[in-house]
Amino acid sequence: MDFNSSLRIAATGMHAQTARMRVIAENIANADSAGKAPGDEPYRRRVPTFQSHFDAEVGGRVVEIGKLANDMSDFTSRYEPGHPAADESGYVQYPNVNTLIETVDMREAQRSYEANLNVVTVTRQMLGRTLDLLRG
Amino acid sequence: MGLMDMPVFSALSDKMRWHQTRQGLLAENVANAETPGYRGRDLAQYNFADRLQAMSSASVSTTATQPMHFSISSGDGAIGAQTMANFELTPEGNGITLEDEMMKVTTNMMDYQAATSLYQKSVRILRVAMGKNV
Repeated sequence: MDFNSSLRIAATGMHAQTARMRVIAENIANADSAGKAPGDEPYRRRVPTFQSHFDAEVGGRVVEIGKLANDMSDFTSRYEPGHPAADESGYVQYPNVNTLIETVDMREAQRSYEANLNVVTVTRQMLGRTLDLLRG
Repeated sequence: MGLMDMPVFSALSDKMRWHQTRQGLLAENVANAETPGYRGRDLAQYNFADRLQAMSSASVSTTATQPMHFSISSGDGAIGAQTMANFELTPEGNGITLEDEMMKVTTNMMDYQAATSLYQKSVRILRVAMGKNV
C-alpha cells in the first residue's frame, strides 16, 4: 500500500460524501412536495447507504455509496382545505422529510468530507517529504 | 555497497514503509467511518527490535497466480493490519471516531517527517565523510 492508494481511498470517501450531499439536497428541496391530486403520494424521503469493498487495483478497502433506500416512515399531514391535494376532511399529505434531521446529516457529511480532505492534505505532505529525500 | 546495505538506511526506510502502510489504513478508516459493519484497522506499534528479525530472516513467499490471490511474503518485512480494539462503538457499528483518526493521521505524518529528516541527515553525514561541502 503506497501513498497513491491512500490518496485514492480518501478520494472515494469524498466522492461518497458528495453523493450523500446530493441525496440530502434532494430531500430538503422536496420537503414540501405534496401530491397533485387527493390520494397522491407525496415525495418520499430517501436515505443513502454506504458500502465498503476491497478494491484490488487500489489495494485497500474503498467506500462507495450503495442503494438509495426509501424511508418508509409515516407522512405528515397538514390541515389545508384549500390545497388541490386535500382529501375530504381537508388534510394534505406532506413528505416525511424533517429539515432538522437533514441539516444534521448535512453537517455530518461536511465533517466527514473535511476529514477525508485532511487525509489527502497530510498524505501529500508526506509524499512531499519523500520527494525531498531526492534533494539530499 | 549500496545505500540500503547500511543498517541506518534500511531501518529508516523500513520505518517509512510502515508509516506509509499505516497512512493507507487510516485513510480506509476515515473513508469508511460511516459504513455500517466496517471494523477499523490499524498497525501494531513499530518496534525496531522485532522488525530487525523480519528484515533479515530468510523469506518464503507465495506467488499470486490469479488476480484474487493475495501475495503474502512473511520474511519480506510484510506489515500486517489488525483490527482496532476500541471499546467505543458508534451507531454505525464500527469503532471509528473521526477525531481519533485525525490524531493518528497527524501523529503518523510527524513520525514520518522525523524518519525522513533522520534519513536526510544520514545522507548529509555521508556527504561530509566524502569531503563534500554540505
